[in-house]
Amino acid sequence: MIIKRKVAVVGAGLTLFRRRMQETSRELAWEATKMALETAGIELKDVECVVMGSAPDAFDGIHMKGENLADGCGGWRKPYTRVFVGGGTGVFVPIAAWWHVASGHFDICLAVAEEKMSPCHPHPQWAFHTIFDPILSRPLGVNLIWIFALEMHRYMYKYGIKKEDIALVSVKNKANALDHPCAQLAAKITVEDVLNSEVLVWPVQRLDISPITDGAAAIVLASEDVAKKLTDSPVWIEGVGWCLDSRYWTNRDLAYPKYVEYAARMAYKMAGIHNPPKEIDVAEVYDPFDYKELHHMEGLLLARKGEAPKLTKEGVTQRDGDLPINPSGGLLGVGNPIAAAGLMKVCEIFWQLRGEAGKRQVPGDPRTGLAQAWGDLMQIGTVIVMRA
Amino acid sequence: MSLEKIRDPERMRRWPGHMETDYVYTVGLAGERFFREIKDNGKFYGTRCEKCGITYFPARTFCERCLSELKEWVEVSPRGYVEMYTIAYMDLEGNKLEKPEIWAFIRFEGVFGGLVHKLGEVKPEEVKIGMVVEPVLKPKEQREGSITDILYFKPAK
Repeated sequence: MIIKRKVAVVGAGLTLFRRRMQETSRELAWEATKMALETAGIELKDVECVVMGSAPDAFDGIHMKGENLADGCGGWRKPYTRVFVGGGTGVFVPIAAWWHVASGHFDICLAVAEEKMSPCHPHPQWAFHTIFDPILSRPLGVNLIWIFALEMHRYMYKYGIKKEDIALVSVKNKANALDHPCAQLAAKITVEDVLNSEVLVWPVQRLDISPITDGAAAIVLASEDVAKKLTDSPVWIEGVGWCLDSRYWTNRDLAYPKYVEYAARMAYKMAGIHNPPKEIDVAEVYDPFDYKELHHMEGLLLARKGEAPKLTKEGVTQRDGDLPINPSGGLLGVGNPIAAAGLMKVCEIFWQLRGEAGKRQVPGDPRTGLAQAWGDLMQIGTVIVMRA
Repeated sequence: MSLEKIRDPERMRRWPGHMETDYVYTVGLAGERFFREIKDNGKFYGTRCEKCGITYFPARTFCERCLSELKEWVEVSPRGYVEMYTIAYMDLEGNKLEKPEIWAFIRFEGVFGGLVHKLGEVKPEEVKIGMVVEPVLKPKEQREGSITDILYFKPAK
């Protein structure tokens, strides 16, 4: 494989993550886009193409929302494309933006992700319900959390993991989010708080799960020559990977996300990474539920199978640990506007590798970072590896 | 294999489903003031981008060409002209309308944009392209801050 050109991230923007934002979907996208352009030190006229990502239309409630949001994403009279891989979209947006530039076709590409979930009233659960198969699953009254509950229970059963060990992830991420100015659910909580919270679909409880959120994120990508003119500290995209598992939830290994491993191996190979836990300095791992952070650490080969809870318990994944995971506060703490949440993770790695993460900065001058998202019908992994 | 000869879908092996979800949309930052001006004062507003020299109507929060925030609100004359029109004979369900409806794209002087809205107090055969029209609003106490606060546009006197 010959990669034609190096590609760097040179700017990032993020809105507040909140439920019931007054801004329209396109106004949210505009806020993030404007901030990304300003931090990159460029204007919209400098942008040659735009890649936007958003999860199902059913959240914002605008059919073909890619088109509806085009102006807010800076797409006016430009080559503009929406990409979609469900919940994995947020990390797939920079992957698609990367190939726009790596191909040599464009020098500057803007990548924007947006999700406004609160228009779906009274709750997006109905939109989630209709992602399931209309013949085999929907007649049963399937609820989105079923699949997480089955997966979480299988993971616990296979490796003998206790709920209190999983709850530590929620405690860590919500505490990390206390330092994030955009965070929706930052909190100082205890393992007992998680275990005493309302049971939704056992073993999933209220504090195991990320919230409903409105928000947007954006980054600017540039080719090597342009990036070096724009900034002294470009963050290079050195590895990308994505992989989709079986469309049948009955045909997947619930305890281990093999498809995440395949996506990670693709990105590691491209980035020349042979020992991920040693070579990755900081990672933003997709955490819509607390157990998913552990599940994904294992799929990303950052922990051995069944051992991510042990690393968490030992403090390895804390901001000042050997392998900081989700220093932003993740989806559990910052919030989960689906596609925007994934791109928020890429923004966080960008800020961490530039030393611009403020109170969230992980110590030790991190050089290599990873961001991952997950989704579609709970079967896609999208991975990006970045270096300062 | 096509089942198209089965005219009654109830005769197929099937699971009936529906994908309706309910929504509540905010009108947004610019929409909040734009609709309030119509509701409270019966006035139309646009927002101006000094940099690009364009006044957008209806009012927007940002300029699509340069992404500047638009803070300059400009009152727009409600008298517009018919850029183009069409006549609908069927409703959304495919039922024949009792009375055909005239729908027009109405532009306004000095602004970029316009409105698609209904024409009233005029017969289809009397509508002309370029015809000057003005809005008929709901009585003030019935307005709710919506595009339907404008009942229709009629030929201007």
